[in-house]
Amino acid sequence: MPYIDELSAAEIAAGVARGDFSATEVVRASLDAIASREPDVQAFLQISADLALQTAAVTDARRAKGEPLGLLAGVPVAFKDNMQLVGTRTTCASRMLEHFESPFTATCVQRLLDAGATPIGKTNMDEFAFGSSTESSAFHRTGNPWDTQRVPGGSSGGSAAAVAAGEVPIALGSDTGGSIRQPASFCGVVGMKPTYGVVSRYGVVAFGSSLDQVGPFGRCVCDVALAMDALVVGGRDPLDSMSQSVPASFREQLEEPVEGMRVGVIESLMEHEALSAEVRAALEDARAALETQGVQFVQVALPHMEAAIAAYYVIGPAEAFSNLARFDGVRFGYQEPDCATLAEQTARSRARGFGAEAKRRQLLGAYLLASGVYDQYYYPAQQVRTLITADYRAAFARCDALLLPAAPTAAFRFGEMSTPTQMYAADLFTISNNIAGNAGVSVPVGLGKTSCMPIAAQLQGPAFKDHALLRVARALERGVEDAGRTCSGTVAPGFARMGGVLA
Amino acid sequence: MRPLKEVLRDWEAVIGLEVHTELTTLQTKMFCDCHLSHDDPPNTNVCPVCLGMPGALPVPNEKAIESIVMAGLATGCQIQRRSLFYRKHYFYPDMSKNFQTTQGPVAFCMHGHLDLEVAGEGAAERPDCTMEKAADGSYVVPIRILRIHMEEDAAKMVHVGGTEGRITSASESLIDYNRCGTPLIELVTEPDLRTPEEARLFMERLRQTFLALGISDCSLESGSMRCDGNVSIRRRGSRDFGTKTEMKNLNSFKALHDALAYEICRQAELLEAGDVVRQETRHWEPSKRRTVVMRVKETADDYRMYPDPDLAPFDLSDEFIERCRTRIPELPLDKRDRFVATYGLRRTDAAQLAADPMTAAFFEEAARTVATEVVPTVANVIINLLPATKKVMPAQVASLAELLASDALTFAQAREVLELVDGTTDDPQRVIDERGMRQSTDADALAATVEEVLAACADQVRQYREGNRKVVGFLVGQCMRASKGSGNPKLFSRILRERLTREG
Repeated sequence: MPYIDELSAAEIAAGVARGDFSATEVVRASLDAIASREPDVQAFLQISADLALQTAAVTDARRAKGEPLGLLAGVPVAFKDNMQLVGTRTTCASRMLEHFESPFTATCVQRLLDAGATPIGKTNMDEFAFGSSTESSAFHRTGNPWDTQRVPGGSSGGSAAAVAAGEVPIALGSDTGGSIRQPASFCGVVGMKPTYGVVSRYGVVAFGSSLDQVGPFGRCVCDVALAMDALVVGGRDPLDSMSQSVPASFREQLEEPVEGMRVGVIESLMEHEALSAEVRAALEDARAALETQGVQFVQVALPHMEAAIAAYYVIGPAEAFSNLARFDGVRFGYQEPDCATLAEQTARSRARGFGAEAKRRQLLGAYLLASGVYDQYYYPAQQVRTLITADYRAAFARCDALLLPAAPTAAFRFGEMSTPTQMYAADLFTISNNIAGNAGVSVPVGLGKTSCMPIAAQLQGPAFKDHALLRVARALERGVEDAGRTCSGTVAPGFARMGGVLA
Repeated sequence: MRPLKEVLRDWEAVIGLEVHTELTTLQTKMFCDCHLSHDDPPNTNVCPVCLGMPGALPVPNEKAIESIVMAGLATGCQIQRRSLFYRKHYFYPDMSKNFQTTQGPVAFCMHGHLDLEVAGEGAAERPDCTMEKAADGSYVVPIRILRIHMEEDAAKMVHVGGTEGRITSASESLIDYNRCGTPLIELVTEPDLRTPEEARLFMERLRQTFLALGISDCSLESGSMRCDGNVSIRRRGSRDFGTKTEMKNLNSFKALHDALAYEICRQAELLEAGDVVRQETRHWEPSKRRTVVMRVKETADDYRMYPDPDLAPFDLSDEFIERCRTRIPELPLDKRDRFVATYGLRRTDAAQLAADPMTAAFFEEAARTVATEVVPTVANVIINLLPATKKVMPAQVASLAELLASDALTFAQAREVLELVDGTTDDPQRVIDERGMRQSTDADALAATVEEVLAACADQVRQYREGNRKVVGFLVGQCMRASKGSGNPKLFSRILRERLTREG
């Protein structure tokens, strides 16, 4: 019998549908695999074993009755802990929401459940998604499955690590400035941030409302495409007014040839001083892998990209300040006892409930939106946003996708990033994509020559051309496989086949 | 304090109003599907969105946007095709997200106006009016509207265990989120109003307009229409603005008028004594007929307004705006003018009928079936007799008006008949026939009644003979009473005069 971590999501769904194994057996194998890995990885904040077993039982009963099964029938999935799921707590890795029971289920979560997926648990993250290493979680750190002394990236570090360690084949994350693509890169898995509006944000605790987008992690592009189809097949979500309908044809188009497609590279970025040599080398390999399949490369420019970090750290904190204002301890979340006045209760609950980075971003946002300051920062940041969006439009007039790094380096060690601004600067390659609202995906392209850690290439595509983007991602994955350098599709070596036999 | 009339001779008041109107006639809240009702048990019409739960998102109510566009079109506003929702931040639990979703510098409706007709006593409050005054002293003044914007209402808070329901002394506070997220439109006038009467008339006009549009029940008592008044005063002839105070709790037209009148007089007294007016928010206490300080505003609050990233900018289409325009019914002033032109009603009667859409519709339904010359009688019945009854039908009023117009019935009898047919489908004609209530024009029978009355009223007869001709009115009244309202009062009067003259 196989180990659960040897199967892709598509294979599990097919196996459950054929009756090779039951959804309940898949859950038991997954729980076993998780139990043996968690002491080292700590990807999860919560394992929803009962909920998973109940859901699996429903799937098995459906099959027994001969009812049709969904795309993800019996597939164990993990959700970043900023996604509401009734029957679980949604903590955002914050003391503020430590005991917060989800009052409703997020649309993205529900879509996967509707496709038959089994909710296995909630994953660790940077507190309220503020961070790039999952170190700002109020509860514990998560180890990178490739080297547990290193960070898994963030903010969706738990979801990336859970997939990389072979705990689940698919996990959802959210990406506000790179929070799916960067941890995917650090952990050697595929991570997609769809175009803003493709996946509903309803029920995902907001960080930066104009930047946030939900997307899947998988060990291969095929599983990511499968998850994307499950996420969008229900059409636009009437509960998110920014939501738009796209066809559920991600898998259908995946294997189509990419010959003749054009991919742009930005010379100045490839020469960027922050970019490590091994990442630069990996990007060259990625280019070669696509070129062998007939992809043409063109030089493009995003002239205002240097201003992206500054604009992002205005818009993001401004929106975060506003979105997190509701955590005042009155109706939910941490409430400081024995306060004499409402103002004192609000102040003390927030002081105790939020961690340092959450406070830093909210204070920054409160400052940036203050009258007199607004015109100096927020307004110019929006102007920069317009310019960057226009840059992208011009670039995509000349190519179908852009090839660029997902992060300047491979995963760093815990505590290595000593200042917040150092951490912020590392978002350089992912942030502008959220600012413009375009799609992006990171695809593992091999191990770094010095770090021996996974390195990814990032592909970015124009808004609502997510299907074509994923097709290029699949071509890149195929090219890397052909070159024999793959880390895609495989579990981090230290954790492969560690428990979880499907019996 | 000196009386208002006197104060206004020396001082000019500068008044601006902020009027909040809940769109009570909508089915659902502004940004969620929750049922719109304040009468249900507390916290039953709530959902993750209006409770501000983490992860919940707003979706705008299209019907609410239609309502505000209609309000804008009806008040001469320019409809802004492009506008945005903003977030206005303040920490207080009546706003579940700790920010209110409202509009920024550009509202759906900008720069409108309403023309007020000020007449009678109220017109005298503005002695130096630069507007052309009619012979009776009345004048017409345009009041500019700065904007009407869309926002959401806050939850209702009840402070328990303290004095006067104020939070500072309360032992606990209760929150009912049923109201949270109610679609609210806020209209802000330019500071064009000069007298409490103008302010009262403006509110009345606005209420009638919104009632006609059917966008709200516009109840000042229950708070579905709320008005704050800003007032400052300056020496007559001055162009400078004084320090203003803001008035709250103006939950009736009378409260609005009286609070402004009080405040103008209070400010005048302060300034005349060499004191200064402090910028503050004041609360009208109707029982004590005075305003008291609620809070002093020393620094402007910083609400950190910025465009709501969860709501895309609006780009209203011409079709949408035209659809709203076609949904605007005849407005009260147009209706009044038509009633005057079509039915020959007195202007004041026409205005009274046109003020309320239900009354106007009732009138037209009743007027439809009667001859043109009877229509003013229909109006008369509705204005003078109808308020006492509840369920009278237009056809019954029409029938009654015809009887009145043909002198077959006295007004007193008409009142009685209305009470009899109230809540039934009975035809007044039949009720009258059954009860023999027709107005008597039998001169002999009336003369007999006159004799009875004269015999009983020796004093008045003497007064008449001494030259007090007015006493006839009293005697007619006695005759009406003796005939139980069935005698024709004109005939009684004639017979009485003949009889008294003959004797004298």
